[in-house]
Amino acid sequence: MRRPKKYEAGEATQYISRRAALRKLQLSLNDFRRLCILKGVYPREPKHRRRAQKGSSEIKILYHTKDIRFLLHEPIVWTLRDYKIFAKKSGRDRAIKDFRNLKRRLALFPEIKLDHIVKERYPTFIDALKDLDDCLTLLFLFSTFPSLHLIPREQSNLCRRLTIEFLHYVIASKSLRKVFISIKGYYFQAEIKGQKVTWIVPHYYPFKPQSRQEVDFKVMSIFVEFYTIMLGFTNYRLYHGLNMAYPPQFPSSMLQDNEDTLKDETSFVSERIAALNFELLRTDKVQEDEEEPDIDMELLEQDGDSKRIIKMKQEAQEIARLRNLFKGLKFFINREVPREPLVIIIRSFGGKVSWDSSVFSGSTYDESDETITHQIVDRPSLSTQYISRDYIQPQWVFDCVNQRQLLPTNKYFLGEELPPHLSPFVDAKRDTYVPPEEKALHDPSLIETHAQSDDESEEEEAAQNEDDTVDQELLDAQLQRAYQQETAEYKKYGGPDGVNEDEEDADDDFDGEQESDEEEEELDEKTKRLQEEKKKMSVQSGKVHKVNKRQLHKAEVDEHRLQARMVKPRHRNLFRKLIREKQSKEKEEWLLRKKRRNIDKDTKEAKKSAKREAKKAAAAAAAAASQLGAK
Amino acid sequence: MAAQEPATKRKRISKKNKAAWRKIDIQDVEQFLEDQRQEERIGTFTDKQDEDLFVVDASPLKTAPSQLTIKQKRKLNALKPMRSHQALENTSKVQDPIVKRNHVRQKKSGRNIEMEVCNPTKPRHRQANTDRGLYYEKLDKELAMRESGKKLPKIDKDIWQEEDFRDKIPGLKDEKGWISRDLALHVAGNIGRKVVKTHASLHHKTTKAKKFEAPHPGMSYNPSLKAHQELLAEVVEREQSIIKKEQHLKRVTTTMFSKVTPEERDKRRLDEMSEGIKEDGEPESEDEVDPKSADNSYSTVNAPVENKKKSKAARNKELKQKKLQRQHEAKKALKKQTADLIRIKSIRAEVQEEAEELKDLKKRRKAAAERKKYETKRLGRHKFEEPDLDVNMPEDLAGNLRNVKTESNLLTDRFKLLQKRNMLPTTVAVKRKRAKVKRFPRSSHKEPGVSFQELRDRRKAAAAAAKANSDTIKI
Repeated sequence: MRRPKKYEAGEATQYISRRAALRKLQLSLNDFRRLCILKGVYPREPKHRRRAQKGSSEIKILYHTKDIRFLLHEPIVWTLRDYKIFAKKSGRDRAIKDFRNLKRRLALFPEIKLDHIVKERYPTFIDALKDLDDCLTLLFLFSTFPSLHLIPREQSNLCRRLTIEFLHYVIASKSLRKVFISIKGYYFQAEIKGQKVTWIVPHYYPFKPQSRQEVDFKVMSIFVEFYTIMLGFTNYRLYHGLNMAYPPQFPSSMLQDNEDTLKDETSFVSERIAALNFELLRTDKVQEDEEEPDIDMELLEQDGDSKRIIKMKQEAQEIARLRNLFKGLKFFINREVPREPLVIIIRSFGGKVSWDSSVFSGSTYDESDETITHQIVDRPSLSTQYISRDYIQPQWVFDCVNQRQLLPTNKYFLGEELPPHLSPFVDAKRDTYVPPEEKALHDPSLIETHAQSDDESEEEEAAQNEDDTVDQELLDAQLQRAYQQETAEYKKYGGPDGVNEDEEDADDDFDGEQESDEEEEELDEKTKRLQEEKKKMSVQSGKVHKVNKRQLHKAEVDEHRLQARMVKPRHRNLFRKLIREKQSKEKEEWLLRKKRRNIDKDTKEAKKSAKREAKKAAAAAAAAASQLGAK
Repeated sequence: MAAQEPATKRKRISKKNKAAWRKIDIQDVEQFLEDQRQEERIGTFTDKQDEDLFVVDASPLKTAPSQLTIKQKRKLNALKPMRSHQALENTSKVQDPIVKRNHVRQKKSGRNIEMEVCNPTKPRHRQANTDRGLYYEKLDKELAMRESGKKLPKIDKDIWQEEDFRDKIPGLKDEKGWISRDLALHVAGNIGRKVVKTHASLHHKTTKAKKFEAPHPGMSYNPSLKAHQELLAEVVEREQSIIKKEQHLKRVTTTMFSKVTPEERDKRRLDEMSEGIKEDGEPESEDEVDPKSADNSYSTVNAPVENKKKSKAARNKELKQKKLQRQHEAKKALKKQTADLIRIKSIRAEVQEEAEELKDLKKRRKAAAERKKYETKRLGRHKFEEPDLDVNMPEDLAGNLRNVKTESNLLTDRFKLLQKRNMLPTTVAVKRKRAKVKRFPRSSHKEPGVSFQELRDRRKAAAAAAKANSDTIKI
C-alpha cells in the first residue's frame, strides 16, 4: 500500500488559496473577483488555518475547492476570457487607427449574461426577496451618483430606473409598513409576500465625493451590476403578480399630447414615471381596491381561540386600516420638502399628492386648489396661508405611518417644535419597563387623558390613588381601542365603505362652508376639542367593567400550569429558562415602576406642602394686613 | 552638311587589325538608331492625336485660386499614384517583342478567402459563409440598436417560473414515463445543454448575524432625549476603550524604554562595539602581567573534562540501589492503594469534581463557538474592525428636516457591511510608494551672480549720492 502523503486529504484539500484558484481558472485577479461576486462565491475561514494552508501559517485568502470547481463550469468564464481578447484586438485597431474595424468590434462587445446566475443563486422567488435589502440600498445609493471613474453613467441611470419601478410596485401594492428618518437616510420597510424588505434611501443632498481610500469602487460596481439584473427580474415578477405591464406604462388616456410630449415621448413617460404620481397601465383592467386579501381573515376566523391567532387577527386588521390611512386626504408638498419619500409614503397609503409644477414634472393640481387638506411645509413661517388646510411639517406623515393612525396635527403645525421622531424598529410593546412619557409618545390617546387627569387632580386637590387612575386609564384606552375595532369591523363587514366615505366627505363640505373666518374656525376647533374631551370623560365615568382580580389570577395560573404540562420533556429546560427570564423581567419592571411611583409621590407631596405653605403664608400675610387695617 | 561632305575627302585607313576598325566614324549611324529608339519609346508626332498635343485655352487668363482645403488636397493627392512608385512605371512605347507570353501563376500561401466566398466549392466554405452571414446580421442589429439609443438589459421573462429542462429538448418529454430523469440528465449533458446543479454549500450562510440591523433610535433626525443619550453613551464607551487600548500599547512599547541623547547613544554604541578590544595604553601592561599565557597556546576558564571510569563494583552497587528503590516504590503504591480503599468516598467526590469542571469547560467552549458564529470571520490578512457609530452631536440636532446634518456615508457603510458579512475580505488600500528622487542642480547651471553692469550702476549711484551730499554741505 502506498504511504499517504501529508496534505493529500482532509482540510488541506478542502480549501484552495486565491492564487491557486486563479491559476486553476486561468483568469486575472480582477476577472476572478468579478466572477466570484457575480456567482456569490465568497472566501472562507478554515477551522485550522495551518492545516488548510498546507503547513503555512500566514493568513491567506482561502476558498472552498468545491466552489472553485463549480466556477470552472461557469459559461461566463469564457466571456471573461473573451474580454481579454477583445481588449487586445480593439487596442490594436485603435493603435493603427482602423476605426471601421474598431466600430465593428465595439458593437459586438462580448456581454455577460447573468440570468441563469440569478436563478442559480436564488432558486425561489422568496430567496431573492430575502436578499433584496442590500440590493435596494445599494441601487438607491448608486442612482444618485454622477458618472464617476469606474462607475459608468449608464449604470447609475439603470439603477434609477429600476428603483423607481420598484417604488411603483410598492405604491401599487400598498406594501409599505414602516418609515424612519435617520441621520443616515430614510429607512423604508415594506412587506412583500410575507418578507420584510428594508432599504435606506440617502438624503437628497448634492453628491459628496468619496475618497477612494475607504471603498473599493470597482467591487461595489460589480455588486451593483449583479443587483441590477436581479432587481430587474424581481420587478418583472412583482409587476406580473399585480397584473401590471412590466416596463411600466401609463394608460394612454392619461397622456395629454403637447408639442413637447410629441417631441420625445419616451423621456416624457420616464419622467412621469419618475414623478411616481400616476397609476400605471394594468393588463387586467380591474381595479385593485376591491379585491383585498380577506381570505386570510376568514381562515383565521375558523379557529379564533388561541392567543396567537387573535394577535394575528388584530395585526391583519391593523394593516388593513393602515393601507388606507391617507385615503381621502389631499396633500401638497412645498418646494423645500424632499419630494420623493413623501410622495412614496402618501401614495402608498392612498392619499393624493401634488407639488409645484416648476419643481418636477407630474404635478396634478396647484397650490391654490381649495380641496387640499394638508400642505407639507418645512419652513418657520409662510406668507400666504389658506384656511381650509393644515400646514404641517413632514414628520407628521412619518409618525402617522409608524403609529398606524392619523395623529392630531396640532403638534406638527408650521413653526411648531416637533415631538421626537421615534424609531419604528424598536418594539414599543416589548415587555420591559417603559416610562409613562415614552408610552404616551407611542399612544397619544394616553397622553391627553393622563395630562387631563393630572389637571383635574390638581384642580380638585383631592388625594386620589394614582395607581387606580392609571389602571383605569389603561383600561379605558383598551376599551376605546376595542370600540374602534368594533366600529371598523362593522364598517368592513356590515356597511359598505362608500357610505362612510360619503359621510366624511359631506362633513368636510359642511366644514368648508362654515369656515369663512379664521376666528370661526378656531372656535370650531375649540368646540370640537371640548366635545372630544366630553366623550373621553363619559367613557371614564362608566364603571361597568369590574374585573374580578382573583378570578383572573386563578385563570392565569391554571393556564400556566396547563402550558407547563404541555411542554415536551426535551424542551423543559428551555421552558424553565423562559419562565425565569420572564419573571426576572417582571420583577425588574415592577421595581422600576415602584421607584417611579415613589418619586412621583415625593414630588407631589413636595408640591402640595409648598402650596400649603404658600397658602399659609398668604393667609398670614392677609391676617397681618387685616390687623394693620384694624389698627 | 551636305555641302561639306563632297568637299572633305574620305580618309583611307588601314583595317588590318582589329584596333584599326574602331577608327571608323559611326556617329551618324548611332544618331539614327538613337532617334529611332526614342521614336519607339515616346512615339512620333504623327501617331499622336491633336488633343494630346494641344489644349484649347478657353478659360480666362486669371484663374481663380483653388478653394480646396488641405484635407481635400490630401484626399486628391491620395488618389494619385505615389511618387516613389513613379520610377517603377513602364513609360516606354516599345512593344513587347514576344507576342505571346506564358502566364506564370504564383503559388499562393494559405487560402484564398475571396474565392471561397465568391464560389464556394467545399462544404466547409459554405458553412463558413453561413457563419459569416449570421455574424454580420448580428452586427447590423447591434449597430442599429446602438444608433437608436436603446441599450438596456433584456428582462422579458419570469426566471422563477417552474420549468423542467426536459420541456426544452424535444424527445425527452415523455408522457409514458419511459425515460428516467437520470437518463434525461445524461442526454441533456451530451447534447450540450448540461443541467448545472448547485451544491448546497454555496447557499450556506457564513454568519448567523441578522441581515438587517435596526438603526439605533438615537440615530433619528429628531431623537428623544433618552435614546440620544444612550447612543452618545455607547459612542463614548467605545471611544474610551479605544483610548485605553492605545494607552496600553504606548505604555508597553514607547514609554517602556528610557530615552538617551544622541551623543550618549553614540557613545554607548561605541563602547559596546569596542568591548573586549584592548585599548592602546593598557594591552601592553596586560601582556606584561601575564607573559606565561602568551606562551601557552590555549587555556580556558573551565576545568578540563576528565574521563572517569566507573569501577565494576560501583556499577553493581548502583544497580542494587536502583532495584531497592523500585521495590520500595511498589511497596509504597500498594500501601497507598489499601489506604485509598478507605477514602474511596472522597476520591469519588474528586472525580466528580473533575468531571464537573470538564463539563463546564465543554459548555464554555460550546458557548464560545456559538458566539463565534455571529462574529465576522478572519478572511484575509487584516482583521475586520467595526466602523464608528454615526451620531449627531447635541448641538447639531436641528429638530427639523430642512436642517438635518447627515452623518454617515452610505457607500462606506455598505462596503463595511459586506465585509462584516464575510462577503469581502477586509483590505487596506495600499498607497503606492514613490521612489525618492534625489535633486541637485545641474553642473552646467549657475546661480545668477552680480553682473558687471549692476556693479557699475551701483557705483554710479553711490557717486551721485556722495555728490549730492557734498552739494548740501556746500550750501
